Amino acid sequence: MTRNIHIDEVTRVEGHGAIDVVLEDNQVKSVKLNIFEGPRFFESLLKTQVYEKVPDITRRICAICTASHSLASIGAIEDAFKVKNTPQTELLRDLLIHGEMIESHALHVFMLALPDFLGYPDAIAMTEKYLEAVKMALECKKAGNLIHSTLSGRDVHGMNERVGGFSKIPSTEDLLTVKALLEKVKPAGELGVKLFSSFDLPDYNESDNFLMAIDPGERFGFLGDHILTSDGNRYPQKEYQKLTNETVVQHSYAKHSQYQSKPFMVGAMPRLILSHNTLEGAAKEMYTEHKDLITSKNTLSNNLGQAIELVHSIERGILDIDALLSNGLKDEPIVDFEVYKSHGVNAVEAPRGLLYHDYTFDDNGQITKANIITPTAQNVYNMEKDIRVTAGNLAEKTDNEIKSALELVVRAYDPCISCSVHVARIK
Amino acid sequence: MSKPRIGIFSLTGCGGDQLQILNMEDALLELLSRFQIVDFQEGSSVHDTGPIDISFVEGSVSTKTDLKRLKLIRERSGVIIAIGNCAIDGCIQAMTTSEAELKSNLEEVYGVKDDFFDAVPSKGIGEYIKIDYQIPGCPVEKEETLNAIISLLHGNSPLEFTYPVCVECKLNEYPCLITEKGLPCLGPVVRAGCDARCPGLGLDCIGCRGPTEGGGNVAAEYKMLLDKGYSKEFILNRLKVFSGDVNESLLEGI
Repeated sequence: MTRNIHIDEVTRVEGHGAIDVVLEDNQVKSVKLNIFEGPRFFESLLKTQVYEKVPDITRRICAICTASHSLASIGAIEDAFKVKNTPQTELLRDLLIHGEMIESHALHVFMLALPDFLGYPDAIAMTEKYLEAVKMALECKKAGNLIHSTLSGRDVHGMNERVGGFSKIPSTEDLLTVKALLEKVKPAGELGVKLFSSFDLPDYNESDNFLMAIDPGERFGFLGDHILTSDGNRYPQKEYQKLTNETVVQHSYAKHSQYQSKPFMVGAMPRLILSHNTLEGAAKEMYTEHKDLITSKNTLSNNLGQAIELVHSIERGILDIDALLSNGLKDEPIVDFEVYKSHGVNAVEAPRGLLYHDYTFDDNGQITKANIITPTAQNVYNMEKDIRVTAGNLAEKTDNEIKSALELVVRAYDPCISCSVHVARIK
Repeated sequence: MSKPRIGIFSLTGCGGDQLQILNMEDALLELLSRFQIVDFQEGSSVHDTGPIDISFVEGSVSTKTDLKRLKLIRERSGVIIAIGNCAIDGCIQAMTTSEAELKSNLEEVYGVKDDFFDAVPSKGIGEYIKIDYQIPGCPVEKEETLNAIISLLHGNSPLEFTYPVCVECKLNEYPCLITEKGLPCLGPVVRAGCDARCPGLGLDCIGCRGPTEGGGNVAAEYKMLLDKGYSKEFILNRLKVFSGDVNESLLEGI
């Protein structure tokens, strides 16, 4: 007997994706995660644009990961023109990327993922019983957005972070306001970990996952220039194409990334598993307490992983502000650099995983070639693997039970489908 | 009186305009308590297929699927509000303006000639359906959006900004980036409503709120930037980013 399981549109994810599974005599015959978000051709649009305004275009690939795209884009330009930033710029950028994690993880952990585990259709409906928790979650999200608006100019598609520095340095007073809100939302971060470590995690999707994440160096974070893989390798970011072999598939505007012909996962769970020894403070304690629940076999543990990262980013945001203020805020101009024919690559951890920007410039600093690989594009193939495993294990259940499980599994990746339709170049 | 039924929809875009609704953290619960959400794919699993009083639509029509969804939304909705530039004029992705360019992009980007995609050149939703109100921006401003919703709840039309960014820049007494720094600022021809945020940070306006009422005096902007030493290609590139195809006939005789 043939059964078609069809989900029109996965809800509580960014962008548009459908799931199709065909079961034949309770065996999985085919699986498709159909990305029907329209293509936007960013890499083509970037051609002939002068480097200076390139980040203003690329940050618009995605609203939830706007700062990640902005920093990856700026980083690739700076790699091309060998720009040397000041320590203050590096610290402000670190604060900005932690702000992005707070805003995005608070949204996903509490408003997109949590309703499933508490049995509600959305976070608004949860308010009838959990009003205080929803308010805490919103305040936490607001703290992330306050970092965005203070450093970048606004919550979404800011503009103040530039190639070579920041256009306007935030004031001491502004940073202290951010710090006060971060202190206030610490309990929200801890609440996320408490909740997601208390739920029984389904095991119907358990399977081997190959993991990749940025090497954050000595302290856990989201910026760096090498990539770690779960087979114990470490690659310079310039060699990213070895890690992200892409193929076009007919059912999707998102290409499939493969590592040595196999799917792999990027995101919070891979970051924690590959770099947990660099965690500090409360996040380190929480990871140690719950590490048995964060397993590479179960991608649903990405939810708890994000909750732990939320705790990390709140604490780290406070530490970054303390460091900026104790160093003495300086009203620094954008640093000088020369523009020439060149090529640059940069990797950044977006909330949902590794993101690469790769540009080639002519002598005038105009783009001649661009390639952008987003985290969700890398995860799509692994999500299809999980859908296959889950549908196989649940084949004897009702359609509705299978559908809920598949949505739960896909949602745990915190997919950003707008991003995945990224349109890389093929030579 | 029962609560108005609302839907929040997105077509092709970055998701930033509905994210701005979620970003109104302080007002969100109070605001949404005034409505019954019947369809909001990005934030809720509720999916009620019945009629909708007010639909917010973000994103451009960039595929035939987008168009099909848009027409269904129009059929179900009393009032449709286009939120953000993608829904208003196609925004950044509308830089790809022709079928031919679309085909070459598909081939270049996906390496395919076969038309197994259903892509169409990106356009705003007003090209295909009647829209009742629009809130511009890339992304929309939170305050403007909140004010628009409150106006509608009271039966009033939302306020529209009919003057350019330059006006807000002057009111803030920011130094002019064009005359004092020679930067290629688009403030003179771009719709206000952002309180001249970029000039306030020392950055030239890139036009993310789209052309001002009536399109603005683009020819004068173009000539001014030519006089400042910018090349034709540079200026047209800059103008194109947020307003799709720049009508070059406007520039004739300069």
